[in-house]
This record gives sequence, C-alpha cells and structure tokens, in this order.
Amino acid sequence: MSQLIWMIDLIPNWFWTLVLWAGIAALAASYVLGKISFVAQYRIPLRIGGVLAVIVGVYFFGVIANEEKWQARVEELQRQVREAEVEGETANERLGQALEDKKTVIVEKGKEIVKYVDRFKDREVLKTVEGPERVKIEKVIEYVEKCPVPKELVDAHNQAAVPPTGDKK
Amino acid sequence: MKIIIVCLSALMLSGCAMFTKYLPAKPKFPEPVKELTEPCPHLETIKGDQIAITDLLKAVVNNYNLYYQCSLKNEGWNEWYKKQKEIYDKVK
Repeated sequence: MSQLIWMIDLIPNWFWTLVLWAGIAALAASYVLGKISFVAQYRIPLRIGGVLAVIVGVYFFGVIANEEKWQARVEELQRQVREAEVEGETANERLGQALEDKKTVIVEKGKEIVKYVDRFKDREVLKTVEGPERVKIEKVIEYVEKCPVPKELVDAHNQAAVPPTGDKK
Repeated sequence: MKIIIVCLSALMLSGCAMFTKYLPAKPKFPEPVKELTEPCPHLETIKGDQIAITDLLKAVVNNYNLYYQCSLKNEGWNEWYKKQKEIYDKVK
C-alpha cells in the first residue's frame, strides 16, 4: 500500500487537474455533441469515462488539499516543538540559577552557625569580648569543657544518621 | 447511474476522513537541571571518643544543612516538572 501511495505521490498535481477537466469535457461532449453521428457512437463510453475521470479528479483534489492542510499542520507543530525546546532550555537555566542561589544561602547560613558554635571551643575568644557577653561565653565554654557527650548518645546519633538498609523494591 | 455517481462521490469525499494520521513531530523529552540529578549525600556521623557538645551540635547543624540542600532538590524537581509540563501542554 505504501509503495502505491509513493508512486501516486510521484504524479504531479497538475495531472489531476487535467483529469478533472478532461472528465468534465468528456461529460459535456457526451451531452452537447451527442447529436453528431461521429460523437454519438462514443456517447456511452465518453459518459462513463467522464464520470470516472471526474470522480478520480475530485478525489485527488481532496487528497492534495488534505495533504497541504496536513503539511501546514506539521510545520506548525514542528515550529511549536522548536519553541518549546528553547523555552524548556531557558526555564532549566533559570531554575538552575535559582537553585544555585538558594543553595548558597543555605550553605552560608550553615557556615555562620558552625562559626558561632566554634566560638565556644576556644578560650581565645574571651580576649576579644568584654562585659556580660564575656561572662556568658565563659560559662558556656566551661560547660563544654566539663561535659563531654556520653558515647551512648553519640552512637545513637550516628545510628540515626546512617540510612536504613531495608530491601529496595 | 445518478445514484451510483452520488454514492461514489460521497465515498470518495469521505475517504480522507477515514484515516487517522499521526503527526511526524514529537517534542523531545526535556533534560533536567544537572544539579537535580545528583543524589542527596548521606548524613554526617560523629567520629572519636571524647566528643564535646559543640562537636555534636556542629554535626547536627551540618546534617540540617544537608537536609535543606536535599529538600531544595525536591522543590527543584517539582518546579521543573510544573514548568516543563506547562511548556509541553502548549504544544497542540
């Protein structure tokens, strides 16, 4: 079937116009010139041939019109697909940038808190702070130095941090 | 004769509508943002025997940080899907 369609596709469009007009001409001749004796003897074949030619001509006119409509639709869709691909890429770039910015904020916040916690590890910080703030920090440092975390609690933390090893489906 | 012509014409004219063609154009499946495809890292554990409360706290803070980074990926995937679907649905 596809070979047949391929072969029909090779026939130029003007040929079907010619078939249609030939059919109309044959039909007209069978009616108008039917009284002329030479034409009269071919009246029936002319009429049948004319009708067939008109039907085939109209059909292929439909095919051509449908094909043109179809090609226009395909081009339109291809254009939309190209636009969508470009738009998708742009959206990805924007999203990537937004994620990067948010990640930077998260990482920075984490670093700041770690830096703040580190203040309570070293007594050196007391040289740079004065007044009630110094007293407060000194108390915290004292507490940190005197109270190490029991190993059991550290193990519990570590167990919670390790992902469960269940069977994955 | 006339009936045959009318029937044939109707059949011929309806011929085009009898076939369903599939458009030879398909949108390419969009590639995700590279950062989103990276797996979330494992949480941090604490190593050593004498652990100060500050070390424990730092590990907890770092783990919160890892959670928020991973949560950002989840948020990113949702955003990516929503946007790409919106773009895909525009192609008609």
